[in-house]
Amino acid sequence: MPAERRFGMDHPHYDWSPLNKRGVLRWPDNARVALCVIVNLEHPEWDPPEDSFTTPFAGGLGARGFPDYARLSHREYGHRVGIFRVLDTLRKHGIPATVAMDAMTAENYPYLVQHCQEAGAEIIGHGVSLSQIISSNMTEDAEREYISHSVAALTRATGSAPAGWLGPEYGESNRTPRLLSEAGLRYVCDWVNDEQPYPLHSPHGEMFTLPIMWELDDISAMWERRVVVGRYQQLLEESFETLYEDGQQNGRVMALNLHPWLIGQPFRIGYLDRALGRMMRRGGVWAATGSQIVDWYRDNPPTA
Amino acid sequence: MPLPPNRVDYSPIIDRPVIKWPNDARVALWIAPNVEHYEYEPEFDGQRDPWPRMPYPDVQQYAYRDYGNRVGFWRMAEVLDKHNIRCCVSLNMAVLEHFPEIGEAMVQRNWDFMSHGIYNTRYLNHYTEEQEREFYRDTIDTLKKHTGKQLKGMLGPAISGTERTPDLMAEAGLIYHTDWMHDDQPVPIRVNSGKLVSVPYSIELNDAPLFRQHYEGDYFAEICKAQFDQLYQEGAHSGRVMCIALHPYLIGQPHRARYLDDVLGYIMSHDGVWQTTADDIAEYYIANYYDEAVAHAAKLNG
Repeated sequence: MPAERRFGMDHPHYDWSPLNKRGVLRWPDNARVALCVIVNLEHPEWDPPEDSFTTPFAGGLGARGFPDYARLSHREYGHRVGIFRVLDTLRKHGIPATVAMDAMTAENYPYLVQHCQEAGAEIIGHGVSLSQIISSNMTEDAEREYISHSVAALTRATGSAPAGWLGPEYGESNRTPRLLSEAGLRYVCDWVNDEQPYPLHSPHGEMFTLPIMWELDDISAMWERRVVVGRYQQLLEESFETLYEDGQQNGRVMALNLHPWLIGQPFRIGYLDRALGRMMRRGGVWAATGSQIVDWYRDNPPTA
Repeated sequence: MPLPPNRVDYSPIIDRPVIKWPNDARVALWIAPNVEHYEYEPEFDGQRDPWPRMPYPDVQQYAYRDYGNRVGFWRMAEVLDKHNIRCCVSLNMAVLEHFPEIGEAMVQRNWDFMSHGIYNTRYLNHYTEEQEREFYRDTIDTLKKHTGKQLKGMLGPAISGTERTPDLMAEAGLIYHTDWMHDDQPVPIRVNSGKLVSVPYSIELNDAPLFRQHYEGDYFAEICKAQFDQLYQEGAHSGRVMCIALHPYLIGQPHRARYLDDVLGYIMSHDGVWQTTADDIAEYYIANYYDEAVAHAAKLNG
């Protein structure tokens, strides 16, 4: 619906709140930056349902005729090889992973579920598959069923219900925050509009956003904008330095969203390793999972 | 499922039988020049337009690629010779018929060949089963006739295929397929008869996607070296495959060939590099690891 010309947001999900007019957010031990690394385990489907919707997903070659072995198997690289490099790199720097896992991965890759859990990762909801993303094309019932399928698949695979959510391709309809909250989710990462968590209006208990830095998403930077990998390392480091400086006054969150098929390629992983190493060598960085960050924020809201 | 059902069992690279390459090499390095011919006035198959920019012919794009055969190939070959590289060419078979000097130059160097179809402007996607069978017969016979070599593998023409492709390849006696970008080691692909493996090719260390965008030779050299460093480190535990994919019309440009020289100089200065071909990698893997890998993956997937 076109916006009404009045104060505040043109949708009901959250309040207008410029960062420089907010109270002060303090992280544990007065850390300046809360660092959260989200790792995507997601799949396009060989044979997606006819009515499914997706964006022209980024990855590997441009779409070719069916069967597109090259394109699909390039994504599968993340599950077979890349994920282990990414998790090893995070472990090396003492960063707990937050793994956004789609239902297809949870159902078909029990090895990976177990591996992520053993690595101490938090596993969050990530829809059903990359070939089926949430959009306003869905009816409310279909969207509710979609979210519940994803949550149920993760609950069965991991033994507990996910607390967080990142839609595949950040996809939402205008109902999504409400339906996620109804399904028991407590935070969502789709909104790439801030450097701190913030509350969402929710009819079903408290709900927060954990905003990702979209420009630092490896797909956004290295696939869509074709930033060279050495420059990507610099983007990460320069962003961190600015957040670290700004975080002295008011705590910042740096949430990175990474894809193992992309950043986990042999020639890319070293650049991530060096960027994270440089960040973690500084004092005053709190590396945490999405839930840890959102829980802290809920219990220690910004003060005037 | 994400990949074609029942073709590949999931097998995480950290939990597999260890691969030892000949002489305890850490990395099996193969170089894959795509020696191609794109038709001047191809037939549009109704699905994929070989020259989408304008009505055929598209002289600019045709000639850009033809430069590869007239000029680029020869400059590229000089650089490869300097480092004693034995290539595994991804070959449009019709090149052997159109441009015999290129065929002779490759045979002289004892390079290996995998099929890249007949022309890079004829795709497999719409082939019937019988057409595809005939296609394998044709590629096998053409290669044999002009080079004396037995065809062993394929990168689909312009990376195209059908759902039947792995089965029909194996039926025709081929043993490897490089359309699968899913791993840094060979992987068994389930087929109706025979044995077929994927040998890792690269669409990232590949001059075509790189140089048709804003990347240039220095970046190509940087990422090839970074790729090698990572695989070399991991290969100390279990052998890895590294492929560099080339196109003479791109890497053979005067401003670029030096970067290939730089990359090969760097890699070949290391001990523990098995500079080989996809033919040899596939044969070695099938002889030594195929059965073990299949059994291991079957056990893992219950």
